[in-house]
Amino acid sequence: MTKASRKAPGGAAGVYLEGDRVSNRPEGPLLAREEQQLVEGLLAGNEDAVRALYARYARPIFTLGLRLLGSAEAAEELTQDVFLAAWRKAARFDPARGRLSTWLMTIAHNLAVDRLRRETGVTRPHLVLVEEVPEIGWVDEEEPLIERDAAIRALESLSDAEKRLLGRAYFGGLTAREIAESDGIPLGTVKTRLRTALIKVRRANQDKERP
Amino acid sequence: MTCLEVRELLPEMSIGVLAEPERERLGRHLQWCAGCRKEAGDLDQAAATLAFALQPAFPPEGLEERVVASVRRAAGAPVKRRRARNVAAAVVAAAIAFASLGWGAVMAGRADRFAVRAEQAEREQAVAIEQFRKVVANVIPGRDLPDNETHIGPLTPVAAGTGGGFVLQLVSPTVLDFSMVIVNGLHEPDRLPLRVQLVNREGTVLRAGQITALNGNGGAEVYHQFQTQDLAGFTKVRVVDNRGQTVLAGTVDQSS
Repeated sequence: MTKASRKAPGGAAGVYLEGDRVSNRPEGPLLAREEQQLVEGLLAGNEDAVRALYARYARPIFTLGLRLLGSAEAAEELTQDVFLAAWRKAARFDPARGRLSTWLMTIAHNLAVDRLRRETGVTRPHLVLVEEVPEIGWVDEEEPLIERDAAIRALESLSDAEKRLLGRAYFGGLTAREIAESDGIPLGTVKTRLRTALIKVRRANQDKERP
Repeated sequence: MTCLEVRELLPEMSIGVLAEPERERLGRHLQWCAGCRKEAGDLDQAAATLAFALQPAFPPEGLEERVVASVRRAAGAPVKRRRARNVAAAVVAAAIAFASLGWGAVMAGRADRFAVRAEQAEREQAVAIEQFRKVVANVIPGRDLPDNETHIGPLTPVAAGTGGGFVLQLVSPTVLDFSMVIVNGLHEPDRLPLRVQLVNREGTVLRAGQITALNGNGGAEVYHQFQTQDLAGFTKVRVVDNRGQTVLAGTVDQSS
């Protein structure tokens, strides 16, 4: 696939031109007001806003769907569902409470896990260990992926055991109780370790805060 | 819930594995507790980091257009009309897609006298396609219709039943939507009438006509035109009997 074919029509990657130009930066974190404006555009069904959001976030959403649901078809459905769910919830988005990327990925992850649990009952999602995920040095990409670079850096702050633990929960869909029972360790210990690992990632993420 | 109890559950909520009842209780607490809300936001961001670390995969071409169209449709914004082609081309495309589906669905569960039944199925499909052509022509005489507004999907038996069929849908922002269902190989008249239902992702069910009689091959067709209802998203199709049991089910690929 060529770069041109991957880019949004009209150069909409990260640039939302409805009304005032709110951002002329194709990549990098958005300002809070830019995020708010994009979400307002989404709520109104503004095409430029939807395309700008798609250009920024469709790829990670699709990627997450592919890993969790296991097929391109399911990932495609998930991507559509996420944008529709975001439209439904748009009025509740508050940039003061979190970044747009976090909000969208949380919607995507919850929808994917819900779907897996609904469709497979007790069967767990395909397990993908986090330590298998980051591939530093991957270069088959012509556009800088700031979010991914920062994510990989943040995950480097974790020990292998912490990566495995987060992977089992986030990609494997295992609850703390299930992990505790499986490993034969106290539930409280698992909860504490999960929280500790997340806080480490959060701290490592501090340097990519919204401008 | 106390803040202590909430914070113990927040990591699992951020990771998306907290059960619904607890999620709701947590949500109520977060509505008024700024401290826990801040902690939840921090943990959510950390959890989302995991997703961003995945090696990216590229969404298929065409997905952006579908996302834009679905959001705009949901928001009530007019969806831009795309390149139009003659309605005949749409029907032919549907026929080709239909042929590629094969009549395996129609013949499902009927391995005996296969060749004979295959011939019957093919003949009936040809008739059905011709009917579909007439229906489309009646709905929009002299109008062009984009071929991406005509969708088709197979219907297959459930619970080791017999029979099969297919469904054709017209989903258009410019003309009235309709669906047409053709079934075959149903040989239980005591289950009549059969009702056709279209279901979307939210579980909303639309009635799309009913079958009150079957021909000698256990076949029938039914179409339904929707005066106000948009069929976008109503991709699940089922044919249910007079006791509410599903006889045939299938999915229409509205992305094609």
